[in-house]
Amino acid sequence: MASIRKLEKHQAKMAYLFITPTVLLFAVFTVIPVIMALYLSFTNYDVLSRNDWIGFDNYRRLIEDDLLWKTFRNVFLYAVIFVPLNILISLLLATLLNRAWRGVKWFRTLYYLPTLTSAVAAATVWIWLLHPEYGLVNGLLSYVGITGPAWLSETRTAMLSIVMLTLWQSVGSNMIIYLAGLQGVPDYLYESARLDGANKLDCFRYITWPQLRPTTFLVSTMAIIGALQLFDQAFVLTQGGPANVTKTPVYLIYQQGFNQLQMGYASAQAFVLAVAILIFSLINMRITKAEEPIV
Amino acid sequence: MKKWLITSLSLVMTAALASGCGGSSGNGDTSPNSEAGSGGTTGKKTELVFWGDWGGEGQKQFQTMVDAFNQSQDKIHVKYVLQQDMITKFLTAATSGGAPDVLFWDRWRTSLYAPKNVLHPVDEYLARDGITKDDFYSESLKELSYNDKLYGLPLTVDARALFYNKKLLAEAGLQPPKTWDELEAAAAKLTKWNGDKLEVAGFSMADLGLFNMYLQQAGGTMLTEDGKTNFNNEQGKQVLEFWERLMNKNKVYKVGFELGLGEGQDAFVTGKVAMLYSGPWMLSTYNKYGKDLEYGIVPPPAGPNGDKASVMGGFGLVIPEGSKHHDEAWEFIKWWTANKDNALLWAKTSLNLPGFKPSMEDPFFQDDPQWKPFLDTLEFAKIRPSHPGYSVMETDALAPNLQLHQQNKQSIEETLKKAQEQGDKMLKDNEVVK
Repeated sequence: MASIRKLEKHQAKMAYLFITPTVLLFAVFTVIPVIMALYLSFTNYDVLSRNDWIGFDNYRRLIEDDLLWKTFRNVFLYAVIFVPLNILISLLLATLLNRAWRGVKWFRTLYYLPTLTSAVAAATVWIWLLHPEYGLVNGLLSYVGITGPAWLSETRTAMLSIVMLTLWQSVGSNMIIYLAGLQGVPDYLYESARLDGANKLDCFRYITWPQLRPTTFLVSTMAIIGALQLFDQAFVLTQGGPANVTKTPVYLIYQQGFNQLQMGYASAQAFVLAVAILIFSLINMRITKAEEPIV
Repeated sequence: MKKWLITSLSLVMTAALASGCGGSSGNGDTSPNSEAGSGGTTGKKTELVFWGDWGGEGQKQFQTMVDAFNQSQDKIHVKYVLQQDMITKFLTAATSGGAPDVLFWDRWRTSLYAPKNVLHPVDEYLARDGITKDDFYSESLKELSYNDKLYGLPLTVDARALFYNKKLLAEAGLQPPKTWDELEAAAAKLTKWNGDKLEVAGFSMADLGLFNMYLQQAGGTMLTEDGKTNFNNEQGKQVLEFWERLMNKNKVYKVGFELGLGEGQDAFVTGKVAMLYSGPWMLSTYNKYGKDLEYGIVPPPAGPNGDKASVMGGFGLVIPEGSKHHDEAWEFIKWWTANKDNALLWAKTSLNLPGFKPSMEDPFFQDDPQWKPFLDTLEFAKIRPSHPGYSVMETDALAPNLQLHQQNKQSIEETLKKAQEQGDKMLKDNEVVK
């Protein structure tokens, strides 16, 4: 008994040793800046000349900041389309590529490739693809007699274009995560289900999907966080236009802080964004039942 | 034994971390000052650090000027340091004591930074050295001023003018337009559609930020004296009616037509856009890629009542308050921007219009059909209003509403009303606060 406790103690020590660098880095580069930002959100900090406590003024100004709430509506709309599609497509790809087909590794590589390209470079290529007159997308559409829209410049298609680009970029890595999840599902579950006469759909519905719950939780949480923090793709593709329909909170925070030097107010905006991410992650936890054990 | 190992390992890791941070912050305030300081105290040459964010060709052009200055005298030695993210770097440097001695400055930022006392006023130097303000475009000096104090001298000036494709205009039997009506007629005649496909756009309507210029051509101004928007009126309506005629009646353009075409595929270079507003910064691109492109430039066409207008912009050189060598920095700025020969050397090196008027009398500008129209335009061009919230108002309140109008999602009245309401609020939220 005593020796077991000694072993545990030893293991605990080693564990602390191994997490020390990460925790220290986390404290220095994440925890302290977050606390600083919280403090700054109650000041009129402008980097150069002022840093006075102004109480809740920044937060009061937030309430009337129509543009900020518009950017939140934009990313919510984006998240509502992007997150489910992201899960659906990456799971579909993973299921298809989870077999011992010939050339399956080739396909896995191909689907993963877009993830490796830089966001800005990929966005630049997509601008060409989506050009109203000379782009590949509208070129293909014109073969079937459809006059395609000016994807990036029209208010009704701009956000959709960003969804397409980001999906293309992110399903690859999520596919890999799902593949790992799928390979972790024990074979005996399927075997016994088949003995009980379950068909493929039943197998997916009652075995694969529940077994993948932690994976889905991970993928969806990362997707939600990514969606609410959308920035570079929107910045390169549309610069927030047309008519502000693709402007995002991060874009606004950057502009307020670094262009207008209103760091205090920008910090307050950033805090609202952080709280929004927290709330949506919690909701997501509920929906995916992440805290419940798998069967 | 093991305990000892663990403790020492943790210590090493912590130390590594700490030194990592220390190292990076040490790099942050890279010794321009210590360097410069040592130079100053030993009585030898004073070392000046000059920050700019021009790399590549621009860096070579700066270096040419810096070398010329260094050879022209033996008291001051200037070093050009390329800062890709210059403004962000300057933000931290201005307060932490690592500020450079001379800063390449996008002039419109003055109204935001000068009130924070991070720039050094130069009025006394100007008076001392007998430099007359008349030698510079007054608008460009206005852009470098705040509360009647001048914070630097203009290095370049630019303005928008109308570029037109000579071949396309000749084919249509047209002269370059001088008024809005002529512009509209020419644009309509130059436009070619093939079914739903736009083949040649008569006139580019891509840059709605030019509203400012059109409004002045219609006789209006963007802001009132007391810093409110001033376009929800008859002049603003005239501009949008003009745009509506171009977009909907004459269909001279299609939204998104020029988006994402690279330099070599530029719509004007390839003859897909017949006329557009552009500035001197595009000359080198057009000359480089447009082997078959013959183009001309004329000052912007005048509005319904004959009002002429264009938007002036450009760069300047300023002295950060945090520099320890204000006098020497001024010598460098004066040498570069307020000397006929040097400003001309700069202009020829960089193909920019210099801020110093006497340099523009040179045949290099006067006899060149590509430069002359810009000189004419500069005579009446005005800067954007110097209100620290102006650019936010323009991009976040005005442009979005103009885009809705351009896509027929909003009437003229609603567009101007909303742009005014949202714009006034943004101006107020971003006004100067001490």
